[in-house]
Amino acid sequence: MLAFLLRRLAGSLAVLAGVAAVVFFILHLTGDPAAIMVAPDATKDEIAAFRHAQGFDRPLVVQFVSYAGGLLHGDIGKSLRHETPALALVLERLPATMELAFFALGVMLLVAVPAGVVSAIKPNSAVDWIVRVFALVGQSAPTYWIGLMLILLFGVGLGWLPVSGIGGLRHLILPGLTLGFFSAAKIMRLTRASMLETLGTDYLRTAAAKGLAPVRVIVNHALRNAWLPIVTAVGIEFGTLLSGAIITENIFAWPGIGRLAVQGVLDRDFPVVEGVVLMTATIFVLINVLVDVTYAALDPRIRYE
Amino acid sequence: MRFRPLALAATLLVSLTATPLRAADFSVTISQGVDVDTLSPLRTTNTPTFNVVGQIYEQLGYPDGPGKMVPQLATSWKRLGPNLFEFKLRKNVKFSNGDPMTSDDVRFSVEKIKDPAYRSTQGPYVREIVKIETPDPYTVRFTTATPQALFPGTRQRLYIVDAKYWRAHDNAYLETNPIGTGPYVIKSWHKDESVELDVNPNYWGPQPAVKHVVFKPIPDAASRVAALRTNETDIITNVPPQYVSTLVSGRTTDMASVKSVRILYIAFNTLQPGPQQNKLVRQALNYALDVPSIIKNVLGGRAYPVPSVIPTNFFGFDPHAAAYTHDVAKSKSLLAKAGYPDGKGIDLVLQSPNGRYNRDKEICEAVAGQLALVGVHVTVKTNEWTNYTTEIAKKQVGPMFMLGWGITNYDADGVVTGILTSDAPNSAWVNPEFDKTVFAARAELDTRKRQALYAKAQAIAHEDAPWLFLFQFEDLYAVSKRISWQPRGDESIDVKLIKPR
Repeated sequence: MLAFLLRRLAGSLAVLAGVAAVVFFILHLTGDPAAIMVAPDATKDEIAAFRHAQGFDRPLVVQFVSYAGGLLHGDIGKSLRHETPALALVLERLPATMELAFFALGVMLLVAVPAGVVSAIKPNSAVDWIVRVFALVGQSAPTYWIGLMLILLFGVGLGWLPVSGIGGLRHLILPGLTLGFFSAAKIMRLTRASMLETLGTDYLRTAAAKGLAPVRVIVNHALRNAWLPIVTAVGIEFGTLLSGAIITENIFAWPGIGRLAVQGVLDRDFPVVEGVVLMTATIFVLINVLVDVTYAALDPRIRYE
Repeated sequence: MRFRPLALAATLLVSLTATPLRAADFSVTISQGVDVDTLSPLRTTNTPTFNVVGQIYEQLGYPDGPGKMVPQLATSWKRLGPNLFEFKLRKNVKFSNGDPMTSDDVRFSVEKIKDPAYRSTQGPYVREIVKIETPDPYTVRFTTATPQALFPGTRQRLYIVDAKYWRAHDNAYLETNPIGTGPYVIKSWHKDESVELDVNPNYWGPQPAVKHVVFKPIPDAASRVAALRTNETDIITNVPPQYVSTLVSGRTTDMASVKSVRILYIAFNTLQPGPQQNKLVRQALNYALDVPSIIKNVLGGRAYPVPSVIPTNFFGFDPHAAAYTHDVAKSKSLLAKAGYPDGKGIDLVLQSPNGRYNRDKEICEAVAGQLALVGVHVTVKTNEWTNYTTEIAKKQVGPMFMLGWGITNYDADGVVTGILTSDAPNSAWVNPEFDKTVFAARAELDTRKRQALYAKAQAIAHEDAPWLFLFQFEDLYAVSKRISWQPRGDESIDVKLIKPR
């Protein structure tokens, strides 16, 4: 297991190095931000002088070498817009995004999974019908629309919850639900499908035939086997949530990394975008490793050599 | 009488919440679309950032309408020669850390912007100043390379920083720890969340009514409107026209609007080959356009037609300037004269930003629709902003492109030399006579002669038609009914003028 982990982590480093290189070249190929940073009535010479001061006029390869050298020292450079270390900006925003992602994860695990299970046990019942409609709406309605509807209903209409900014649980509910809705719908459908498949197997019929209580049949026998695809999906979904819920953060003025990324792209703030992408990639890679490890814990047949 | 604890509690609660706001508590929240990018006033060129640092820092003076300057840290200014300008500074002004404000601070601020190592984006703001003298602590003299009609240092924002404080700290520290002479001091900055300011108890001017101000950025326009309706904020900027009726009829909300300094136009790139190089075609397309109809149907009436290249509320605008009117017959005859009967053979791309200006893409589509009525085929292409501006500066965008231009000094100079003269970064038109006229105006010290030169420039531009002439925006703000505040056309917000209603 340890050897497996080490191998996986080494592979992860290679993935991250690749990501770092790709994001660098894609970003720089879109042009540098000198023209939008400097005052709009700047002359050609003034723009050129600014470009030189920022080092944008160096050959791309030279810029890449200095960027890669910085990376090896754990330095992704200073934000062009804020003149502060880009990594600090990313880390500053990460807790807000985590808060939102964990709330959405809670919705996934505590609402979506049980709902999916119940709807699979009683297919075509009223509960199943409601769950399926929710899943359909959640997957097809744009996040932007759901967010605005929640704002209009619970914020403007009923006045129960604040509609913008961060600060305590009350502020978390609307953006958390908006973000969780899409993922929850996905997990709900997946749980239902996975459970339906497992419920039809012979060993479950055996378990029921030998007189086990229905709850034990479902929890100990069915759910245990249905878990694997759900865990994979939840893991990947959580990675997506952590990588910044761009639309949700924008609607609710939530100070997370999604908003930082959007502003970074608009401003061509290279180090900030590189920082966000690298952070996201790292999270994804780690979650993948974690999902693999969880597999082994859930299914005794899976063993890593 | 029986004791009724519930009723008593309720009465207490009501009386507590109904207590009139004490002056010492008066707090206001302002929501713009973006957070500040820095708290250094010498690096940014970003209006939302100026709106925050402008509460902490002050300028020598600021423009307040055509030919009008409001004194701030300078009490008076005079011209000592065509190239030499003198400012007398206000005495007994202190920075919020107690340092006195003197001429050395003014010199330092200009030099810091000019210092390549500081990488300020404000270089063009002070480009004319070639020499700074400080004969005494309250006198500053600027020398410019060429004669200037406008006072240097007032053409654009120039905020004065504390030289002693700045020399003692590194740049990164100064990005987040502002010390100014203004009516407010920094309390906290949580990025993308809020900037909070407290009143400066030692401010040299009258104490403002607002004691505490929060700048809380909300990027999405619909959410800004919702936040105002739920009383989470008191002033919101850039209200889309479709929300106006909801906000006007709101119990706690109201609209505030003002004619913007920003004009919107569609330029012809006459440096690229194509029918737009023909003056007659450019004139014809102007006659084909029905600007009032676009304003009414696309912007809900929230804009003002501008007949010329100079905004109507700027020094230099000629109210008698010739204007294009909607005249389809004339447009068609000009097209025929130019060799394109019924517009046949004209197929132009209209480059548009997407979301940078209020309904920019929709305006371009309306323009394309109107030009189709005279037979001219126009395709609208949208562009990502950063790339767009970079390419415009390289003069690569065309054959037609939309751009907005806002300059806060209410003077024609900042408009024509930014977007029209052949050396201007955003110009794609060459007319030596126009260049000669506006450069003469820049150096002309006699106001009446200068006005006449701009009138001439407008006549040249009308004849040669470098643009499709469109309009000036109306800036839309929405405000809470608990405050009283008047917006300004230059998009700046002066918190010290906000009062409780």
